[in-house]
Parts: sequence; structure tokens; C-alpha cells
Amino acid sequence: MWYWRILGVFLIALFLSGCPKKPPPPSESEFGSPGGGQGLGPGGIQDRNLAPKEPGARTEGRIRNPGSDTGGPLSDIYFDYDAFDLSTEARNALQSHADWLRNNSATRVEIEGHCDERGTVEYNLALGAKRAKAARDYLVNLGVDANQLSTISYGEELPTCKEATEDCWQQNRRAHFLLVGR
Amino acid sequence: MKSEALTAKRPPRARFNRRPRASALLWLVLSVTTPLHVSAQINLQITKEGGQALPIAIAPLQSADGAGSGDEFAEVLSRDLDLSGYFRVISRSAEAGEGEGALPEQINFQSWSALGALALVKGVLSSDGNGLVAEVRLFDVAQGKQLGGKRYRGERRDLRRMAHRFADEVMLLLTGERGPFDSRIAFVSTRGGGRAKELYVTDLSGRQVTALTRDRSLSLGPSWDPSANMLAYCSYRNGGPFPYLLDVRTGEQNRLSSTVGYGGGRWSPDGSTIAVSLEQGGNSDLFLLTPEGRVIRRLTEDPGIDVSPTWSPDGRRLAFCSSRRGGPQIYVMDVDSGNIRRLTFRGDYNTSPSWSPKGDQIAYTTRSGGFRVMVIPANGGEAREIAAGEDPSWSPDSRYVVLSHRGRLMVARKDGNSMKELTRGGGDDTSPAWSSRLE
Repeated sequence: MWYWRILGVFLIALFLSGCPKKPPPPSESEFGSPGGGQGLGPGGIQDRNLAPKEPGARTEGRIRNPGSDTGGPLSDIYFDYDAFDLSTEARNALQSHADWLRNNSATRVEIEGHCDERGTVEYNLALGAKRAKAARDYLVNLGVDANQLSTISYGEELPTCKEATEDCWQQNRRAHFLLVGR
Repeated sequence: MKSEALTAKRPPRARFNRRPRASALLWLVLSVTTPLHVSAQINLQITKEGGQALPIAIAPLQSADGAGSGDEFAEVLSRDLDLSGYFRVISRSAEAGEGEGALPEQINFQSWSALGALALVKGVLSSDGNGLVAEVRLFDVAQGKQLGGKRYRGERRDLRRMAHRFADEVMLLLTGERGPFDSRIAFVSTRGGGRAKELYVTDLSGRQVTALTRDRSLSLGPSWDPSANMLAYCSYRNGGPFPYLLDVRTGEQNRLSSTVGYGGGRWSPDGSTIAVSLEQGGNSDLFLLTPEGRVIRRLTEDPGIDVSPTWSPDGRRLAFCSSRRGGPQIYVMDVDSGNIRRLTFRGDYNTSPSWSPKGDQIAYTTRSGGFRVMVIPANGGEAREIAAGEDPSWSPDSRYVVLSHRGRLMVARKDGNSMKELTRGGGDDTSPAWSSRLE
């Protein structure tokens, strides 16, 4: 039910922006673009922000709604080509994700590993899994309850950006954090 | 569908017998004297390296009693022979062959020769109860002689398969080896819309495309079982992704394993086991499963990525892609001993191997700039590029690979001399898998 998620995020954005009677439509950056989202504090999550609990339905939602890649309190982290080691930026982001997850210990997160198109399908599936696992292990080392975290690899199947440029490929080589339930 | 050579043992049907004695006699002569020297000449011409494509004319089959579409038969046959890269199909001129019969003495070979044709296909479709009979012949135009003929009996819906079967026959007669066209290609496509990837199957015309899944999810990496009835693949319909099996006859999907898998399984040549890459503590390793999903044994134990197994035709070795020494390379494992040796050394990104049915070569994808399909001797040696594209799968005769290139499926000859478009579907067509011959 992706539209409930979008609606939920929209309502929260309304609330945070001080609830004017006729607000201008928020631009996408207000939803929390990559790198921007420390958004919601403890207790700030509504159930309607959460992806379905059933794994197959989660994938279906992610396929139907490419926009579901932006938003959420936990920003994406990025990887180098054909690599799954964590950069300094990625480690910094994961540090704040760990803080948030410890403060929201009832929230469960599915960590998605993604790749750019410059690989073949099956190898990228395995590479995406390594990326998701690297992010998960780092969070667990920072004291996040392992039961809060699950991983899935989407390989190169769900790119956020479809142009053949390094900038675009970089955006696709990512781990994405999807809130899936409590 | 049944087929038989057009021999003297089975006399021609009545409609051919306008002049019964002469025709029967002619039939006998033609069916027992396939002029080998002629086909050998043509064979030499088209199979030699850099050889010229043989100009062949394909007349629409005469439909004796509205039995089926003679145009459709000719269209499928033309497309197959064009795809082969060995032939130049001469487009039909309105006058050529107008009103003439399909038997040698009824054909004005000079008029076909004037069109530039060296070979000619003619035939007749007729009803057989509710079924269909196709009688088709291949002629050497210059000699005015029949090179071969076949009679196919089947249901009306078998028309296209009869045409594919005859294409295989023409290949046999003119190149010395049966063609690969009576087979199917499974693939993944977004042609259903959006980002969902479903499985499809097509005949070798690329135009009889049937959807196999409607999961609105992601289905990836299909491969055929030896009988061409089942597909192993990988699906996100229940998250995962998990390995699945799909019965193409019924559409039934069954999960092969409850362990996350990276790509579809690959049936061993005898059909008794399936090799598949499964999740093992966040890493991918190769396992051997029964078709019921029980683990027989683990094949690799390595911190690197191990994916995309492909069997040697004797079932004793597996080639696969591994990042065990840095970037992905192709390795070959002896299944019994577990010994592994590296096969590829050129380039830093070599993936998705496919072992040829004849066993002597392995095709794979290399990335340097764009994707290219390479072929390397299975025992090691110099790799050679055959086409731009990725994810190759061999034809049953090991003369071609089907691959994906910019969202379309292409058929490339392994000698690199031809590359033809198979599909163009209004979506991205990827990960093709070529089946064995259907019968």
C-alpha cells in the first residue's frame, strides 16, 4: 500500500512544516533526499509509514513505486564500483542510523543492497547481498539489536537513476533502509 | 507432430497425381537420388570462413484446401534461415512461381534462377481430418534437382513448428549439420510494464511470445531442464529472492529452496541434480540439490562470491563465476574431486558463463567499457570476442549463442560472422535461455 506511505509522509511533512492551511506542495527534498534524513525522532513513525510485513508484498511495493526509494529517517549509503567495503561517509551515516535504531528499538528495518547496471544480473545479486550484509554487520557492531535488521539484495533490478553516467551509477550503488514494521 | 522423409515408400497423395504414372516415377527418382555432390558444393560455399550467404527463395506453401497459411509457413522458415546467417532469403516477387506446382517437373527453375536464387523451397499444405499435413521440398535451382523433402503431420497449431523443423532440415542438407530452430527461448522482460520482470518464452521467430509468470514481482535467471519442459529461475514473489521451478506446460511454480538464492538453478545434463548459488552467512556459495530441493552437498566454501554455475555436457564439471581472487573470473570445478582451476585471465570482469552442448567451448560476458560476449576453449586458451552483449546461452547445435544487447535478444554465430535481432518487445528483454531441441 505505497500510497498510504506517501500520504503518511506527506501528512508528517505538513505537520513538521507548521500546518499552514494551504501549504505549497512540498518538493521532493522535503521528504528527505539521500543524506538528508534524520527526520523523525522517537515515536515519530506512524504505522502507515511502514512497508508491508510480508516480504513478497514489500518487493511488489518497491517495484510499483520507484519513489519509495526516497524518504524515511535513514539515508542511503553508497559504495564504490564492484566493492562492498564501507567508506568513511558510509560509516558516519551508519553511526547516526545506529543511534536512531537504538532509540527506536521497536522498529524493524530491511536493509536493501543495490548495484549499478555495469554488471551482470547474477553477480550483482550476490554483490548486493554483500553490501547489505556489510551495512548490517556494522550496525550490529554499534550495538543495534540484530533482530531489528534483515537484509535483501535487489542486485541491479531497482535503480533510482537510469542514465549512463558515473554520477547516476554512484547513486545506484547503495544500501537502502526500509522501515518494515515493529 | 510426426515427420517423415518424402520417400518412395509412401506414395504421394491423390492431388499430386494429375499424371499418376509419371509423377510416381518421378517421386521415386527424386527421393532416392539426393545429389550429394550438389549439396556438398553449396555446403562448401556457405560454411567456409567468411563464406557468402546462399541466396534462397522460399515460395509460400500452396494451401490445397485452405488447410493452413502457406504464407505463415514461408515467413517462419524465412526468418529462421535469415537468423542462421548462412542464407540470404530472396524476397518473393509476385510473378515468380505464380501458378506453378511444387513438384520438380512443374517448376520453371530458370525463372527462379533469374531472381538470383541458388536454392528454392516449395511445398503444399493440406488437411488431414482436423489435422494438417505439410509436404515441403528443397531444390537446387541450377541443377533443377530436389535435395530433400519432408512430410509433416500434426495439428493445425503445429504449423509454425513444422516450419522450424524444415529450417533445421535445410540446415542439415546444406551445411551438413541439423539446425537449432525447433526449440524455444525463455527470457526475462519488462514488456509487461513498469519495473516488474516476468518470464516469457518464444519460438525462434521471436514473435510467438508467451508470458509464463504474472507475479508483478522480479523473476530472474531462467534456465531449461534437459527436456525443455521446466524452467529453474529465481523470484522475489515471496521476498528472498528464492530459487523456483516452473512447469512450462502447466504454469505451476514451486519454490525449490527456502534458502535465499542468487540466480536460478542449472539442471545437470541427466536431469537428476540442480546446481545453484545459495546464501550462506551473507555470502554466496554453490550447492547441489535434488529437483525436490534437498541439499545433496555443498560445492564451494569460499568468502568470495560464487554464482552462475553451468554444466559440462558430460555432467562431470561445472564452470562458474567467482570473486575469490578479487574481480569476478570464470573458474572450472571437477564436481567429484572438488578441484577448481581458473579459466579466464584476460580482463577484470568476467561473468555469466555458458558451457556449449558440444562441450568444447565456454561463452561468457566480459566488461571493458561495454559488455561483450567471449568464447574460450573449455580446457583453457585464448578467448575471442563474438559479439557485443551479455548473458550468452548456447543453441542446441553449439553454432550460436543467444544474448541480450540493449534490451533486445540477439542471435550471434559463434564464429562472430553474424548477429541478428530476435526480439524487440517494448521493454527490456534480458537473460535468454536456449532450450534443447524439442524432439
